[in-house]
Amino acid sequence: MSAPERHLLPVATPARTRSAVRELVRPHRRLAVYGFGVMVVATATGLATQPLLGWVIDLVAAGEGALLPPIALLVVVALAAGALTALGLAKVAQLGETVLAELREHFVARALTLPLEQVERAGSGDLTARVTADVSRVADAVRSALPELARSALTIVLTLGALALVDWRFFVAALIAVPVQVLTARWYVRHAVPLYAAQRTAAGAQQQQLLETIGGAPTVRAFLRHDEHLGRVENRSLAAVELTMRGLRLAMGFYSRLHIAEYAGLAAVLITGFLLVRNGQASIGEATAAALYFHSLFGPVNTALALLDDAQSATAALARLVGVTDLPLPAPAAHVEPSGEAAVEVRGLGHAYVTGRPVLHDVDLVVAGGERVALVGASGAGKTTLAKLIAGLHTPTGGKVAARGVGMVTQEVHVFAGPLAEDLRLAGPDATDDELRRALSLVGALDWAQALPDGLATVVGEGGHRLTPAQRQQLALARLILADPEVAVLDEATAEAGSAGARVLERAIDRASDGRTTLVVAHRLTQAASADRIVVMDGGRVVETGTHAELLTAGGRYAALWRAWSDGRS
Amino acid sequence: MLRQAIGGQRGAVILGAFLLALHQATEALIPVLIGVMIDETELSSLLSWLGVLAGVYVVLSFSYRFGGRIAEGSAERAAHDLRLRVVRRVLHAGGGAEDGRLPGALTTIATEDVRRAGAVNLVVAVAAAGLSGLAVGTVVLLNTSLPLGLLVLLGTPALAWLGHLLAKPLERRSSTEQERAAHASGVAADLVAGLRVLKGIGAEQAAVERYRRTSRDSLAATMRAARAQALQNGLVLALTGLFVALVAYIGARLAQEGTISLGQLVSSVGLALFLMGPLHLLAWVNSELAQARASAARVAEVLAAPPAVAPGSTPAPSPVQGSVRLRGVRLGGLDGLDLEVRPGELLGVVAPDPAAASALLHCLGRSADPLGGVVELDGVDLTGVDPAALREAILVAAHDADLFEGTVLENLGAHTPAALAASGADEVIDSLPEGGQSLVGERGNSLSGGQRQRVALARALAADRPVLVLHEPTTAVDAVTEARIAAGLREARPGRTTILVTTSPALLAAADRVVLVDGGRVAADATHAELVHESDTYRTAVLA
Repeated sequence: MSAPERHLLPVATPARTRSAVRELVRPHRRLAVYGFGVMVVATATGLATQPLLGWVIDLVAAGEGALLPPIALLVVVALAAGALTALGLAKVAQLGETVLAELREHFVARALTLPLEQVERAGSGDLTARVTADVSRVADAVRSALPELARSALTIVLTLGALALVDWRFFVAALIAVPVQVLTARWYVRHAVPLYAAQRTAAGAQQQQLLETIGGAPTVRAFLRHDEHLGRVENRSLAAVELTMRGLRLAMGFYSRLHIAEYAGLAAVLITGFLLVRNGQASIGEATAAALYFHSLFGPVNTALALLDDAQSATAALARLVGVTDLPLPAPAAHVEPSGEAAVEVRGLGHAYVTGRPVLHDVDLVVAGGERVALVGASGAGKTTLAKLIAGLHTPTGGKVAARGVGMVTQEVHVFAGPLAEDLRLAGPDATDDELRRALSLVGALDWAQALPDGLATVVGEGGHRLTPAQRQQLALARLILADPEVAVLDEATAEAGSAGARVLERAIDRASDGRTTLVVAHRLTQAASADRIVVMDGGRVVETGTHAELLTAGGRYAALWRAWSDGRS
Repeated sequence: MLRQAIGGQRGAVILGAFLLALHQATEALIPVLIGVMIDETELSSLLSWLGVLAGVYVVLSFSYRFGGRIAEGSAERAAHDLRLRVVRRVLHAGGGAEDGRLPGALTTIATEDVRRAGAVNLVVAVAAAGLSGLAVGTVVLLNTSLPLGLLVLLGTPALAWLGHLLAKPLERRSSTEQERAAHASGVAADLVAGLRVLKGIGAEQAAVERYRRTSRDSLAATMRAARAQALQNGLVLALTGLFVALVAYIGARLAQEGTISLGQLVSSVGLALFLMGPLHLLAWVNSELAQARASAARVAEVLAAPPAVAPGSTPAPSPVQGSVRLRGVRLGGLDGLDLEVRPGELLGVVAPDPAAASALLHCLGRSADPLGGVVELDGVDLTGVDPAALREAILVAAHDADLFEGTVLENLGAHTPAALAASGADEVIDSLPEGGQSLVGERGNSLSGGQRQRVALARALAADRPVLVLHEPTTAVDAVTEARIAAGLREARPGRTTILVTTSPALLAAADRVVLVDGGRVAADATHAELVHESDTYRTAVLA
C-alpha cells in the first residue's frame, strides 16, 4: 500500500558511526586509558603462568629440588591477575555503561523532538524498533560481546608475543593456523550477518503474528478462523526454526574449520618443540610452555571469531541510532503571532502528506480569542489535518498558520506507563498534588483515580492498571488542563468511548476548554450545535461557515447532515 | 511437560547426547596427547602420535558438528511443537486460556517459555557431554597417579562449587538489574508510542527529562551489577590460578620421586585446566534445567487452563430458524433477563449499564454461560451445544473486534458486494490506493478508526450467519455514513435475525423493535419513536 512512500529514518555511514563513538568516548578518555591499561597489565600478568610451569618442568627435568620460587610466583601471579582483572573489568564496564547511557539519552532526546511527519513517513515501527531492539543490541554488545572480544583479542596478541619471547620459531609455527582462521572468519561473517538479520526479521514476524492471533483470539473464535490463524502461526514459526537451523549449520561448519586450524598449529608447535629440544636450542620446559600457550589460545580465538558477527550487528544497530541523533534540529518554526484579536489565523493553507495528493486546499480561517469553533464534515474531509496543522504537529506544504500557544488532544489516547501522577506531570512538570487533583476533578476523573489501588501513585499504562477508553480520554483532558494552553484543539475526543460514555466526556471537554479559545473536531453534531461557529469541510475545503441556526437556514451541507442526525432522534 | 518435550524427539536427543559426549571425551584426550608428545624423543614415534592426534581431531570435529546440530535442532522442534499447542489451546472454541493473562504475557509464553522448555533437549545432551568429559579426565588422572587424580577430582568440583557460590547472589542481583534496564528501554518505547500525545501538549522536554532520570537510575543499577560481576570474574580467575599452582606443586613432587613421568605431569596440569570446562557445562545444565522447569510450568498452566464454557454435544439446530429466547438469565449486569427475538427480526437492545450489555453478548456468543436461566436458539439450550458449532449459527461481532494483517478482502473472508455497500466499506475500499487489495497493516493499524470499524462491520455481514449480534458498530463513523448504514442493514440481512446492542439513535430508529434493559431486566419494549416519547431512561441513554 503506502510502501513506496516509506522513507525510513537515516542510517549513519560507517565512518560517521566510528567518529560518533570517538565523540562519545572522548570526555571519558582518562577512564578509557586507565581501564584498558589495567586490562593489558592483567592479561600480561596471567601469561606468566605458562613460563612458570615450564620452569617447574625444567627443575624436575634437571632433578633439582627447589620448587618453591616458581610455585610461589605462580601463587603471586594468580592473585595479581585476579585482582587486576577485577579492577580492569569494572573500569571497562563503567566506561561502557556510561557511554551507553549517554548514547541512549541523546537518542531519545532527539527521537522525541523529530518532526512528526518524518516519523510518520518512516512508519512508527521504525523509530520504535530503533529505540527498543537497536538500543538493546548495542547494550548487549557493550555488556558482553565487546569486553569478551577485547579480552580475547588482548589474550591472543599477548600470548603470541609471549610465544615469540620463548623462542621466535614457536611464534612462526603458530602462525600456520592464522591463514585458515582468517579465511574462516571472513567466510563466516559474510554468511552470518545476512543470515542473522533474516533470523531477527523472522523472529519479529513470528512475534507479531503471535501477538495478533493471541490478542485477537475472541475475534478468531467468533469468525471461526481458528485453522487459518493456526496455519499462519505454524508458517511463521517454521520459517524461524528453519533459519535458526541454517544458522546452526553455519556455526557448526565454522567450528569445524577452526578445528583444522587448531590441529595444524598445534602439530607445528609440537614438531618445533621436538626439534629445538633435540638440538639443545630449547629446554623441555620451554617446549611445554609453548604447547600450553598454544593450547590456551583455542578458547580466546574461538570466542573472538564467534563474536565478530555480534560486533558487526551491534555496529549496524549503532549506525541506525547515530543516524537519528545526527539529524539536524529543524529550524524552530518562526513563531508567528496572529494579528489583532485573533487567537488563530490560517491563510491560504494547503497540505499534502503524499506529494501530488493534496488533502487540504486553500483554507482560510480566523478564530477570535475565546471563541469556540467546531469543525464538521464526513470522514476524510480534512478536519483532522487542519487541526494538526493549527496545533503545529505538522508543517503545512503551503500557506500560513499563526496561533497563540496551542495544546491538542489527539485521536490517539495513550496512557504513559508509570504512576498516574507521573503521566499527568508530563504536561505540568511542576504541578503540585493539589493541582493534579484539581485537574482530575475538573474532568470528572478524581473519584475513580482516588479509588485506584494506590491512588494517584497507581502504575497505569502498559503493564500496569488498565484504564477504560473513557478514563484514558479524561486523562488526556486533564493533561490539557495542566498544560494550560491558550488555544485548545480537540480531535474526536468522544468518538471511541461509545455513546454511553460520550456525555460524561462532553462535560469534561467543556470544563477543559473553559476559558480557552477552542477548536473542536466535532464527531457528534451536538458538539457542533453548541459551538459559537461551525466550519463545514468537504474534500479538503471549507464549504460553509456560520452558527448552527444560520447554517440550518442556509439549507446547505450542514443542514443535510443535521437532518440525517436528527432523523434518528426524532 | 519436560518429559513430553524430550519424548517427541527421543531419537534425536539420544544421538545428539552420544555425539556431544564423544566430543567432550576427545577434548579431554588433547592435553593427554600433548603430554605424551612432549615426552617423546623419537621423531618417527612423534609423527605417529601426530597421526593419532589427527584422528582424534577428526572425531572431535565431526561429533561436535553433528551432535550440536542434532541436539539444538531437537530443542527447536520441541519448542515449535509446544508453541503450536499453546496457540491451539488459546484459540480453542471453549476459550478460558486468556483469563487473567494479558496478550503480551501469553505471547511471551508462546515464544520465550516454549523455547526454554524445548531447550531441555539440548540440556540433556550437554549434560551427557559434561559427564563424559569428566569421566574421561578422571580415568586418565587416576591411572596416572592416585593422589594427583584424587586432588584434581576433588579440587575441581570444589572450585566449581565456590564459583557457583560466588555467582549465586550475583544472579539474584542481576535479574533485578535486568528488570531495571528493561524498564529504561520500556519507558523509551512507551514515550515514542505516545509521541503524538506528547507533541499535542508540548511535553517533549518533560518527557526527555523523565527519560534521563530513568536512564540514570538504570545506569547506577547496572554499574553495581557490573562491579559485582567483575569482582566475581577476578575471584574465579585467582582461585583457578591457585589451584593450578597446587596441582603443579604436587605433580612436580611426584615427578621428582619418579612416581610419574614429565609428560604425565604436563598432562595433569593440562587436564586440571580442561576439567573446568565440563564442570562449567554441568553448572550451565543445572541453571538451564531450573529455568526450563519454571517455563514448562507456565506453559503447562496455559495448556491445562479450564475452558470458559463447557463443551456441549447437542447438535446446533439445522437449518436455523433464528428465534432466540432468554429466560431468567443472570450474569454480570443481567438479573433475570427475559427476552424473545423472533426469526428474521431486526431488534435493538439498549443497555445503559455496560456490564449488562457485555453479559448479554457473552451469553449469546457462549464466551461465558449464564449463572442462572436459559439461552435458547430455536428452542435448543445453548449450554448443550458445542461452542464452535454454535458460532456457525450465531455471530457476536464485538465493538472492538480486531482486524488482521493482510488485505481488506482477506479480512472480509468473502467478497460480498451487498455487505460492502451496507457497511459503507465500499467507500473505504474506493479511497484506498489499491482498493480491496490494500494491506491493512498489523491489527488494521494503517486504517483510520472509522475505516477499521466499517471493514469490521462488512466482515460481520459477509459472514452471513443466521443470527448476527452487533455491538456498537458505528461509534467511529461519521453521521452521514451512520445514517446510510442504518438504512442498509435490513437489506443486508433479509429474513435473518439481527440484534443491535447500541445506543445510537440512527441505528435504533431502523430497528423493528427496541428493548431497554435496565436493572438487569427488560424495562421497556416498543419502537424507537415510542420509547423516545415514553421513557425518560431511554431518552437519557440514547439522546445525549
